[in-house]
Amino acid sequence: MKTSRRNSWTFCVAACVTIAVALSVRLAGQTAAVKPSDGSSGSGTQWSLQVERIDPGNLDLAHSFQVAIYENLLEELNKTKRFKYVLREADSRASEIPDLLILKTTVVKYTPGNETQRAVTTVSGATKLTVRSQLVTRDGRIVLESTVSGNVYFFGGNLRATHNLARNIAKAIRQSNMAMVRASYRDTQPPTLNARGTQ
Amino acid sequence: MYCLFARNDKGGCFGRHALISLWALLLCSGIGALAQSAAPPLNANAPFSIRATHVLGLPKTKNNCNGMLSIQNNELRFQKCGNPDAQVNIISVRALFLGEGRKQVGGLPMKLGKAATPYGGGRVVSLFAHKKYDTLTLDYVDSDGGVHGAIFEVTKGQGELVKNELVARGVSSSPGEDQPTKQSISEVAHEDK
Repeated sequence: MKTSRRNSWTFCVAACVTIAVALSVRLAGQTAAVKPSDGSSGSGTQWSLQVERIDPGNLDLAHSFQVAIYENLLEELNKTKRFKYVLREADSRASEIPDLLILKTTVVKYTPGNETQRAVTTVSGATKLTVRSQLVTRDGRIVLESTVSGNVYFFGGNLRATHNLARNIAKAIRQSNMAMVRASYRDTQPPTLNARGTQ
Repeated sequence: MYCLFARNDKGGCFGRHALISLWALLLCSGIGALAQSAAPPLNANAPFSIRATHVLGLPKTKNNCNGMLSIQNNELRFQKCGNPDAQVNIISVRALFLGEGRKQVGGLPMKLGKAATPYGGGRVVSLFAHKKYDTLTLDYVDSDGGVHGAIFEVTKGQGELVKNELVARGVSSSPGEDQPTKQSISEVAHEDK
């Protein structure tokens, strides 16, 4: 009786140890698999980014909106910590940086809003902005392209739409797979990626 | 005509006419003098200062904070009470755009009050609780040549004064000739839609 109880205890302990070891190995594997997707690791190079001014396209977008999108983009992209340097347009330091991507943003849709109308009616007066943002290499190859929106429906001034838009663009870039971006940069025929990094 | 005929009859009519003419002349000259004194001084060296809200763009300055926007010694300065001021060299300002906007006043307390007002009374308050303002958008470059933008909100009508001051100090009002008018009109149109 005693022997059978000891055997069962030994079996339980052995099973627990096996499960613990298996789980730890699996977790370590997952961590190793996640690490290369981070922009700072992998091949050892980290991209820098130059943000170009906003292209209003054919739309009559107020200059204050263009400036607000540009400045908010710089702030939000700095927060992602995905890039070694985030440079402004025409920054002279850009020529010295080897791995540089250029962010081009073109406004494709703009619905002007009205804060008073929003406050009075709740359902109308929303400010809506939709842009097409492209990450382009120095030689003009597009490595990432996404269409992003930023809106203000209820609270806040009209310029808040630019803040929301910049945050969404930075989120799209952060969620993209920078390892694939790097790989596509090396390829002779790079694929165009969407915001998720899938082909 | 009546007066001309009456002048022969009553000698006091001419004196009354002359008095009225003199009063009108004095009134006109007074208005002219007032208008001259109200015109903004465009002396390039005189300091200029107004209350403004920094929306975004200036380095080391919080967004949406109130302070004093001043122009002195070829520098555009924004100073929040008690904080060191942010300054931009006027030579580095590449373009200047003037726009208009309208916003709800009162901030968060007003919003909460409006939400708490029964029978939709808050919406009625919103109809009247807004004010117009001028937006001043600057494009300037830093020491590395990087392009910056800054946006200020000033009281309605004062944007023109700041613009005149900056233009008097050599800032171009926009890259193109028709750009500022077009921009400001488009902003108004957008805000009013």
